[in-house]
Amino acid sequence: MSSVSQYFSGLFTGIRSLMKGMSVTWVELWTKKVTAQYPENRDTLVISDRFRCELTMPHDTNNEHACTACGICVMNCPNGTINIVSEMIETADGKKKKILKQYTYDLGMCTFCNLCVVTCPSNALKFENTFENAIFTRSKLVQTLNHEGSKLREKKKETPAPVAE
Amino acid sequence: MILNYSQPLEISNLSAWLDTTLRSNLSEFWTLLIEFVLVGVLLLAAYAVIALVLIYVERKITAFFQARFGPNRVGQYGLLQSLADMIKILLKEIIHINKVDKFLFYAAPFFMVGASMMTFGAIAFGKGLQAVDFNIGVLYVTAVSSLGIIGVLLAGWSSNNKYSMIGAMRSGAQFVSYELSAGFALMTIVVLSGTMQFSEMIHKQEYCWNIFNGHISSIIAFFIYLISGHAETNRGPFDLPEAESELTAGYHTEYSGLQFGFFYLAEYLNMFIIASIATAVFLGGWMPIQIKGWEAFNQIMNYIPSYVWFFSKTGVLIFFSLWVRWSFPRLRIDQLLNLEWKYLLPINLVNLLVMVILVLTGLTLTDLFPSWF
Amino acid sequence: MENIKKLILNTVSDAVIEDKQKLTVTVEPNKLHLLAKTLRNNADLPFDFLVKLIGTDCGEKLGVTYLLSSSSDLSKEVVLKTGTADRENPLLYSVTDLYETAHFNEREVFALLGIRFINNPDMRKFFLNSDWVGYPLRKDYDANPELNPVSLVSKEMIDVAPRIMETKEGLKEELVNVFEEDDYVINIGPQHPSTHGVMHFRTALDGEIVKKIDVHSGYIHRGIEKLSESLTYPQILHFTDRLDYLSANINRHALCMCVEKAAEIEVPERAQYIRTIMDELNRIDSHLLAWACQTNDLGATTAFIYGMREREIILHIFEKTCGGRLIINQNVIGGVMFDIYDEFQKDVKSFIPYMREKLVEYDKFFSHNVIALGRMINIGNLTKEDAISYAVTGPAGRGSGWSCDIRKHQPYALYDKVDFKEIIRHENDSYARYMNRLDEIEESLKIIEQLIDNIPAGEICAKTKAIIKLPEGEYFQRVEACRGEFGVYIESRGDKTPYRIKFRSPSMALVSAMPLICKGEKISDFIGIGGSMDYVIPDIDR
Repeated sequence: MSSVSQYFSGLFTGIRSLMKGMSVTWVELWTKKVTAQYPENRDTLVISDRFRCELTMPHDTNNEHACTACGICVMNCPNGTINIVSEMIETADGKKKKILKQYTYDLGMCTFCNLCVVTCPSNALKFENTFENAIFTRSKLVQTLNHEGSKLREKKKETPAPVAE
Repeated sequence: MILNYSQPLEISNLSAWLDTTLRSNLSEFWTLLIEFVLVGVLLLAAYAVIALVLIYVERKITAFFQARFGPNRVGQYGLLQSLADMIKILLKEIIHINKVDKFLFYAAPFFMVGASMMTFGAIAFGKGLQAVDFNIGVLYVTAVSSLGIIGVLLAGWSSNNKYSMIGAMRSGAQFVSYELSAGFALMTIVVLSGTMQFSEMIHKQEYCWNIFNGHISSIIAFFIYLISGHAETNRGPFDLPEAESELTAGYHTEYSGLQFGFFYLAEYLNMFIIASIATAVFLGGWMPIQIKGWEAFNQIMNYIPSYVWFFSKTGVLIFFSLWVRWSFPRLRIDQLLNLEWKYLLPINLVNLLVMVILVLTGLTLTDLFPSWF
Repeated sequence: MENIKKLILNTVSDAVIEDKQKLTVTVEPNKLHLLAKTLRNNADLPFDFLVKLIGTDCGEKLGVTYLLSSSSDLSKEVVLKTGTADRENPLLYSVTDLYETAHFNEREVFALLGIRFINNPDMRKFFLNSDWVGYPLRKDYDANPELNPVSLVSKEMIDVAPRIMETKEGLKEELVNVFEEDDYVINIGPQHPSTHGVMHFRTALDGEIVKKIDVHSGYIHRGIEKLSESLTYPQILHFTDRLDYLSANINRHALCMCVEKAAEIEVPERAQYIRTIMDELNRIDSHLLAWACQTNDLGATTAFIYGMREREIILHIFEKTCGGRLIINQNVIGGVMFDIYDEFQKDVKSFIPYMREKLVEYDKFFSHNVIALGRMINIGNLTKEDAISYAVTGPAGRGSGWSCDIRKHQPYALYDKVDFKEIIRHENDSYARYMNRLDEIEESLKIIEQLIDNIPAGEICAKTKAIIKLPEGEYFQRVEACRGEFGVYIESRGDKTPYRIKFRSPSMALVSAMPLICKGEKISDFIGIGGSMDYVIPDIDR
């Protein structure tokens, strides 16, 4: 007798559990969907400020940056993403000084570990949240971060606010 | 027949007109030839169109079950998505694999499509919209639809792939088991309505659908038919032959392009066929809802063309099948066989007996309340 | 521990015992097995849990370090060390007969350092092909790419395993076939939808039933331990996120703690709070994904997406806190890199009740589904003894009734200050593991609830030197990652780079138990069991 009752109770608990499952999907069927519709939502899309997408070097309105070409970021980068070309110039008062000529950053190599930004002694670097970086050729991922004709910001001068890129 | 109200939207009027026009102008032979070709072409077209619509509907409904939007990029609401997919699959290269059994490998998809095509012909889409109306229609459908399994077995065997082989063997076991249940469930209703011909069966359900007529017994048969029909079409939670999480794609792993398209098409069509047979047998087919005595109501219901009735009833059943599919995990092969041999088959046999008793002792609704129905 | 010292000296009289960070015992190679056996069979405190097996190239010697622990009290630890000076044909004795988990680990040591183990039943290289030239972790390894060119031709699978057995006549080298001749062998993986990564299981089937499984790994081995030997500690940190990417934050926490302990850096309290909360969020995230993947493995695609839906919220919190979703780079040596954002507490607090609601929904949707129950209950049984022997920790180990939560046994960060339950089940099956994860989500929510309102103000990161050098020594750190115990071992020689760094991956133990628990199950359950064990392949292929 017990096996018979077991047979039927098994059948009915089984059916009940299946119906419960179906009730969950039934509710979901009528729930409003929230999937973000990219790219239609580009205007309203909010990407968190801290989201790391690409390394940038903020320049102010005078086309000046803060990079002293010290090379600490190059040393700290775990996989050789950054390359700095510097040159020695002679300042007006006759002193020799190293200035930045070209700051190359390979987006394709970057692991976004943020070490360069953290270790930079002059806060010259920043990770931006501009995430649409897909392109068709790999070579274009190698970017030069310092702008054409830019120079080092003098320390004494009052710094104008950096311009958003 | 009581259906003598005006039914302007009915296609049968058009076909009758075509028939008389042809017959008055041409000889018998030419008339028939033209009509055969026409029906054949229309069926093929309907086959493709229904599959495309079903694919779109399934993807959309699935998405809503799963907190997604589903296709919404090609055309408004993604309506052209399955058309685009079809074009893609037509253009895709068919990859010829070296170590397969060539003849059987290429023949297998045609078995699938052929079997579902042959069943498709026997479906009554509406009043007078039935290509083949045998007096043993139910038997014919059961027999022909089981041909499809040969396609699955051949595909799995000839692919020379171990995954495909396991898939095919699973599907063999599954099909043989569930065919039995489906057959018995249909038989229960054959006992009730006393005919195997679809058209007659539908006409008999004018005022009382079979599912109500045989009350308890019919309802049980209905659900058993849905479950086993669902299992026969190899769709989740009974999709063991293709079980993508264990067998990658099961029996059609090695197929590509149009050949894969055939399997895909046949799968969706089989789902439609099962739903439409259930409609015809249990839910009165294309017959509108009619209540004896309520002439005005009947007139309004009749104004809606029969094929709309058919497709909406089928649609409800297809929705039910999708709902089940996307709610449950997949069964294991022994659970699957357990369900059939330990639950469905014994219940079915008892149910058949109960139905015979109901019919013999006059306990069906039509016998109990003859004035209502 | 004095008793243990006595026991060790009684067993091996010439053992060198040192009190370093852990009790360290150095013995001759031929005494090691005896000592391990004595410790394992010690009645009072059996050292029956082999936490780590580390091969090191110590210069003149090739050494192996064993970190043993007791399954009843994980805070009791003994380190055994041995080594051989023979660099041409180094041979050591295997401990596979005592600890099953040693099997894969010894094969790994063979592949990376070339030490072969006597009595190990299957001495094929793990991770590497048998024709790999050189042993990468040796200090004199030639990394010239011409020696090991990238092959574009497919190679035959070799199902013959060499081994060295000790017989009465001496050592005997022999070859054994992995499979029988007429086995129906299918390759599950490396490209398979349900292996959760590039894992390769050669599976012999008898109809639908799994007869034998042979594990091949290393398809995505990146040599992180080797790479780390030339990087500074802050640089190594970014690799830890890429081991088990689902418990990225916890792995990183482990390495940070290990370095902080060694360099004696005090972590500010605020950072501890942030670390603990982030760890628990990470755990929920991982368990949700595990739940989702397991349901997907069992064929319930819809449930998979529900899991992803809830996980998205956590990822969004991560994104706003530290600018990453999967690889979140939050911990640094001395604290955390980013402070919490203004709305962090609000976001987390609104997530907690939402998640609770969803847990109820999961229960309704899947946990009591009759099909799901049939596919999980009494499937993939792993007894407690086997769990310990195979070192299966985490929700899987606790599903076998083994209390192995490091957060309880060796509390770190704030785990000794919060109140939570260690979820233990004794059913040993897939369902126990499955339910353990769901219950642990609830426990994690409780932990977060206790901490979220009490985050103290203050620094988020201690001041550290620009270049962090660890004093000479060996440092261990164990943490409870999402899949089990994650461990870090650093051997420092006083440089800014480690001499040897080793990560203990919980997933490797989980995979090593798969051949045992899947034997005799159906092939579809093999996939389901894999889902319930929830291994992550990059964790194995470090």
